Amino acid sequence: MGIQVESGKRGLTDPDMARVIANAVPTQPLDSNNKMNYFVKPRGRRLSEYEILCCYAQPTPDWIPGGLDWGDWTQKFHGGRPSWGNETTELHTTDWHKHRDPANRWHALYVKDKAEEWRYTDRFLKSYSADGQVRSIDPVWRDEVLNDYLGAFCFSEYGLFNSHSSASRDCLGDTLRMSIAMIGLDKVDNAQMIQLERTFLAKLVPGFPESTDEPKKEWTQGAIYKSARETVEDIWQATYDWNEILWSGHMVYDPLFGQFVRREFFLRLSSYFGDNLTPFFINQMQLYHSQTKGITGDMFFHCLADDVEFGDYNKRILRAWNDKWLPRTVNALKDFMGIFAKIPEIKGVTDKPAVEAALERVFNDWKRDYADPISYKVDTAALIKTVLSGLK
Amino acid sequence: MAISAATKAATDALAVNHAPTSVNAQEVHRWLQSFTWDFEKNRTKYPTKYKMANDTKEQFKLIAKEYARMESVKDERQFGSLQDVLARVDAAKRVHPKWNETMKVVSNFLEVGEYNAIAATGMLWDSATAPEQKNGYLAQTLDEIRHTNQCGYVNYYFAKNGQDPAGHNDARRTRTIGPLWKGMKRVFSDGFISGDAVECSINLQLVGEACFTNPLIVAVTEWAAANGDEITPTVFLSIETDELRHMANGYQTVVSIANDEAASKYLNTDLNNAFWTQQKYFTPVLGMAFEYGSHFKVEPWVKTWNRWVYEDWGGIWIGRLGKYGVESPASLRDAKKDAYWAHHDLFLLAYALWPTGFFRLTLPTAEEAEWFEANYPGWQENYGKIYDEWRARGCEDPNSGFIPLMWFIENNHPIYIDRVSQVPFCPSLCKGASTLRVHEWNGKMHSFSDDWGERMWLSEPERYECQNMFEQYEGRELSEVIAELHGVRSDGKTLIAQPHTSKDGKLWTLDDIKKLNCVFADPLKSIKAGDR
Repeated sequence: MGIQVESGKRGLTDPDMARVIANAVPTQPLDSNNKMNYFVKPRGRRLSEYEILCCYAQPTPDWIPGGLDWGDWTQKFHGGRPSWGNETTELHTTDWHKHRDPANRWHALYVKDKAEEWRYTDRFLKSYSADGQVRSIDPVWRDEVLNDYLGAFCFSEYGLFNSHSSASRDCLGDTLRMSIAMIGLDKVDNAQMIQLERTFLAKLVPGFPESTDEPKKEWTQGAIYKSARETVEDIWQATYDWNEILWSGHMVYDPLFGQFVRREFFLRLSSYFGDNLTPFFINQMQLYHSQTKGITGDMFFHCLADDVEFGDYNKRILRAWNDKWLPRTVNALKDFMGIFAKIPEIKGVTDKPAVEAALERVFNDWKRDYADPISYKVDTAALIKTVLSGLK
Repeated sequence: MAISAATKAATDALAVNHAPTSVNAQEVHRWLQSFTWDFEKNRTKYPTKYKMANDTKEQFKLIAKEYARMESVKDERQFGSLQDVLARVDAAKRVHPKWNETMKVVSNFLEVGEYNAIAATGMLWDSATAPEQKNGYLAQTLDEIRHTNQCGYVNYYFAKNGQDPAGHNDARRTRTIGPLWKGMKRVFSDGFISGDAVECSINLQLVGEACFTNPLIVAVTEWAAANGDEITPTVFLSIETDELRHMANGYQTVVSIANDEAASKYLNTDLNNAFWTQQKYFTPVLGMAFEYGSHFKVEPWVKTWNRWVYEDWGGIWIGRLGKYGVESPASLRDAKKDAYWAHHDLFLLAYALWPTGFFRLTLPTAEEAEWFEANYPGWQENYGKIYDEWRARGCEDPNSGFIPLMWFIENNHPIYIDRVSQVPFCPSLCKGASTLRVHEWNGKMHSFSDDWGERMWLSEPERYECQNMFEQYEGRELSEVIAELHGVRSDGKTLIAQPHTSKDGKLWTLDDIKKLNCVFADPLKSIKAGDR
């Protein structure tokens, strides 16, 4: 048969074409190694599908550690700045391709999880509303705390989300880039879930304001989030080193301020105010926090702090970054203490001993999981004392 | 605890209506534009000479969870097909060998474009000020991760299930050896991420995606299907469903700057440069992949090009942007000339340099020569007779001691590489529009093949300094370079690249190449500035 075929003819199903193809195909595969990316060092015993699909997608030259290409960039920024360069971060490594998401999530697995969470959210909201559970929420908690202060926390999550834009542009490895974009999406998801909860409440509770005006006013002008806002603004737009952005956001601010606000305030207190709606959303945020912690722990501890050549140097930089970002985060928490004056006191729950205990949980977790791995000396009791000075 | 009026109202409402209530994505998305706030330090880290408007909207209006749901549904269909029916019918082994080789390149090179687009859209997400516009770019950032994984999956699938895994299984490492790689990086990598953010958006979304994804992602599926490959259409058409959103992002980029004075000054120049940059590589490479990398032919590339690039993009798509002052690029006419001969010129060079590939190439058969002559009158006189000579000298046989690169040297046909596009050209043989021009700058000689690229370089030479393969490999013996850059199969001696796809033909080894004593020379060492 001829080689020119009519549009729509398919070589797999047209018998004449299939015969021509079958005659050309070798009887045995021409090579015995059928494993893609066989040259990649697996993190586990075997190369995972995640490593096959993600590793070395990044086409960097070998003067960026770990790169497989050679030579210069074929087009640079105006003025000659390189497409990607070692100078975009203070940290060093022998291999920017070393990072792995501990959950091995490539895109399909990531969206599958989130899609399930969305479907379940929809089913939960329908059941919650049909059950009339909204009637049990304390009105002060609902109309002031959830509306204003949970609403304002949306902006903290949204600002942190935006801090991932330049990091996803500038980072130097493929698995890093994918992880950064995904943990960034989780942050905007958090912000959107907060607005979703407010919209849901507005549907169920006549008069509950759906608008973001009040929460934004609280975020931009209020005292409770003042230092948090300033810290988020600095992480988002005043920091250029992509590793410092990730460190300040995910290794200092969020595990301290974010964890206190989400876990120790909204999640812990909501049930005392008859609110079993907010925990549904906060627990999704906590899942994302936990997954992100796995990712950033791998990035900073396994890959950078433990780097055979640059580990000690990297740890010194990370400790310096803690010195820079920890006081701001402590101030953010101190400002946030003002929120306890806005809610009815519940003995053993919202009083000073209870708040102190909550702060101890957060700071002790942080010391164990974030400070100790880089040998950062921290006096958590002193920090907690500073934070508590903000209690009215 | 006192019950508030609102709670009472909610209680009353529930007394008459217990209907399950939820919140849909649009109800959340409509608040997105208010998620940002003004603050002193709020400026992009990637400056642009344009000003993007603060109130720019997006067209797709997704939130994170709805995005995930939508993509997950598409993934289920796609991976279901690949892992179920296509696996059961042994589809990867029923692809014509020439096309199996083509997909080593096409899928991996598209992957590079998708991968770099992650970074490109990260930059745009940073540059945009409107939250909706940021959201549109963010969805694209995630899409590009999806597409990177999908393209990788095509190579993974062919490696695992196909007839020649070599090249599919290590494309991310071996792609760097040959003459097609650096040009691909210019269009698909650096062109998307290095420069003014809006200029990068024009490269990526307005030209790369709106213009060339149709031939690259849609047309390629027709050629694939004709040649027995149902794997590529299954994946690429799923990719294409996301591309619509990306084209819309490009459109919105233009909308966001439409009222900015800078747009009237610079937009058409940036568009023209972007178009020429993209077409300079894609026009020859795609034409070559389709026509020389297939057995069954769908239609001449020049017709495909004319329909998708000239009429659909240059006419209709750009026409829609006319109200914003956008004009069809001035270089479109020159590109149209290239669409006729440039891919034939490039195959001549690609075949001459076949040992540096990560795929097998095939000389046109007699039947194909007839097809080429019928569709491109003059082909036999310019190209066919050269292939006849090479074949007569045994270029496919490792015992011949001949590779076509030697013919170029013997006949004094130097091969140059255009500094801006990184596309190789042979001025003494090419029938397309390429002509040699040479400049000296910064202690180095630079060759160019066309006015548009030369003009870009003359304006900003510091942006285009990348050395080419002849400079990089100068003085080194060919087999040594191949071995160092891992261009061999799992036996450690047989080349991944081969000059034929015959199932009975002998395969070349490193020793066969070593016997030729072929040493790389930099042609720029023997010319001077001003040479043409």
